[in-house]
Amino acid sequence: MIQGRPRGVRVLAVGAVMMLVAAACSSGATTAPTSAPASAAPAASAAPASAAPAASAAASAVPAPSYSATAISAAQQYASTLGKIGGSVSVLAVWGGSEQAQFLAMVKPFEDATGITVNYTGTRDEPAVLTAGIASGQLPDIAGLPGPAQMQQYAAAGKLQDLSTMLDMNAYTSQTPSSLVQLGTVSGKLVGIFLDVSAKGQIWYDPKVVGDLASNPPATWSDLQTLITQDKSKAQAPWCFSVESGAASGWPATDVLESFVLHTQGPTYYNNWWAGKVKWTDPGMKADWQQLGQMVAQSYGGANRVLTANFANAGDPLFTTPPGCLFLHQASFITGLGQFANEQKLTDYNFFPFPAITPQYANAVEGAGDLFGAFHNTPQAAALMKYLVSAQAQTLFVGGGEFLSANKGVANYPNAMNQRLGQILSGATSFVFDASDQMPTPMQTAFYKGLLQYIQYPSQLDSILQNLDSVQASSYTTH
Amino acid sequence: MTSVAAAEATAGTASGRWGRRLGHLPTHVVVILLMFLWLIPTIGLFINSFRPSQAVQSSGWWDIIFQPSQVTLQNYQYVLGQSGLWPGFINSLFITIPATIIPIFVAAFAAYAFAWMDFPGRNVLFVAIVGLLVVPLQTTFIPILQLYGSVHIDIGPIQINNLNGQFLALWLAHTGYGLPFAVYLLRNFMGGLPREVFESASIDGASPVTAFFQLALPMSVPAIAALAIFQFLFVWNDLLVALIYLGAANPQNDPLTIVVANLVNSLGSGWWYLAAAAFISMALPLAVFFTLQRYFVRGIVGGSVKG
Repeated sequence: MIQGRPRGVRVLAVGAVMMLVAAACSSGATTAPTSAPASAAPAASAAPASAAPAASAAASAVPAPSYSATAISAAQQYASTLGKIGGSVSVLAVWGGSEQAQFLAMVKPFEDATGITVNYTGTRDEPAVLTAGIASGQLPDIAGLPGPAQMQQYAAAGKLQDLSTMLDMNAYTSQTPSSLVQLGTVSGKLVGIFLDVSAKGQIWYDPKVVGDLASNPPATWSDLQTLITQDKSKAQAPWCFSVESGAASGWPATDVLESFVLHTQGPTYYNNWWAGKVKWTDPGMKADWQQLGQMVAQSYGGANRVLTANFANAGDPLFTTPPGCLFLHQASFITGLGQFANEQKLTDYNFFPFPAITPQYANAVEGAGDLFGAFHNTPQAAALMKYLVSAQAQTLFVGGGEFLSANKGVANYPNAMNQRLGQILSGATSFVFDASDQMPTPMQTAFYKGLLQYIQYPSQLDSILQNLDSVQASSYTTH
Repeated sequence: MTSVAAAEATAGTASGRWGRRLGHLPTHVVVILLMFLWLIPTIGLFINSFRPSQAVQSSGWWDIIFQPSQVTLQNYQYVLGQSGLWPGFINSLFITIPATIIPIFVAAFAAYAFAWMDFPGRNVLFVAIVGLLVVPLQTTFIPILQLYGSVHIDIGPIQINNLNGQFLALWLAHTGYGLPFAVYLLRNFMGGLPREVFESASIDGASPVTAFFQLALPMSVPAIAALAIFQFLFVWNDLLVALIYLGAANPQNDPLTIVVANLVNSLGSGWWYLAAAAFISMALPLAVFFTLQRYFVRGIVGGSVKG
């Protein structure tokens, strides 16, 4: 036993070394297999699209995106005009799960047609990875940017490529709402594009409870109040509202406040506000906070639930029997979250746009979206950027049912609800971007915290606003 | 077990035996209760992995007591059906096994030197290495990313232009991150080995290398096994280090943790798959733990009581 031991250890050591060598060899070889699927792909290109619905049907909880063959072939046709380039391009974004599947489905025809492998990494820790990447210079070719504020910062540091050298600018500017083109432009250079947009400030409801309000929506905020008084007995409370979202808790409340600001004060005031040119203690601003306070007071479960329930489950009481609430204010992406994901669009839930408060701003729409920029100007990255913003690729992208497009050329949404949301975005007379996302980080954090504090202690409004003023005074100086 | 039986045999009368058992009862009850409390979150996670997403979102795991019919395998089906899962599993093995073996071998050499070889600055060096335990690994990301990015190796068939995205990057990183603790643990264990063994070996003409391979290493197997468990679990469960050094550069090499984290989309839907995914990714570490567990306790107290 004792004599046998050293030999056993030696065998172990030899085994370990062999394993190391084996692993090292295979790691060296990883570059070879990665290029293989790309060249093998054209023959098999149709298979994944048709196989996917069957696979996800097995797990019944997963919605099966079905992409129309015409959309796929149109996208492939467009991609083939970019040339057979080969090589690879790396993409980093926050999309995971179903979003990642839809992104990969969008770039599949591109990979097939151009021979370029798209190395996609999705992580919700993207800001951390990107921060380390910016500091060390180890960056992906194309990446989703956390927000307009970070885009400005990266562009100022000279990290982002001028996209006018990568895109067909005439096509891009003609197909994209000018406000979005402007949002992606820093000191005259286009550095950011929106691969998708979401419409914010929709009011969601259950048509089985309050009737069909999509075709006959309350035109004004006071009409909505009348409706709430009328339907009071149908639910325990008029509103569903909740703001918990981990470290970003409070953002759903910023969206509500932004709706009020936009619709009472208008887009100019709104844009001055996030730019730090309107004081938080401004009487108009204070009135909007009080509107939000009223919504909290009328919310299902009271301030306690507003603060503690996750935003994804905010609207769940819409669907209980008896209903907990009548309405939910949330962006278009709520349809994939919480109980919404289990209910049927149009029959179980529907939406109407935020009603007018000041008539001339009735058509103003708030949106948000995923900004993308390029850190390297390689032929592969340029081809992918061209492809991603094209109407053909975007049509394929929205076909998954989860995304809305910024491209005006996208006409075919997979369902009537997304179609209507798409029309709201493309038909907006003025489009503003999420205000809190455009504020400098300290201001945004203070804004979130201020709202959470206000929801809990409504009587402290004045001191909260004064505090925000002092944060405003210090946080815009570096900008 | 045998000692208890012996104690009972010597305890004599039946009443004494019962008294002894009753005396242990409160301890046992408390221990069992604590174990149960400790396990509750894991039990909840395990049960939730078998519940459909609708149920997981609308009620707690204990709901299964009232509605046992809701048990389903669809979460496992979905997670196992993800295309990236098996490559991720294999990648995790490719990352974890070398990243466990390399630091242990390096640490064993270092520990032997620190424990049994006399050289100037030995204690200062040892204190410096142990001091590195308090350096948060996050602070090293940016300089190491830069370093890896500047690596250019061109020796015949081996051509590496950028270490980021390669398995080698992770092996080296995990070796570095694991070494301070590994050296500390092994040095303390080897330092506790009887001096006479090494002295007589040296008198018999054994070189330090012989003494290390023939004596120190075989006698340290319990500590090495315990260390292997720690390092294996650390690397297997690591998300951040892999994400930083592989993530943006080469997703083909992504380990299981990155694949699993990606089941959740950017707004958080899909989190209900994580319970099932967690148990799939837990399976291998559990197997490793159970095979090495008899060394585990011996190794962890190793070095704490020096003879």
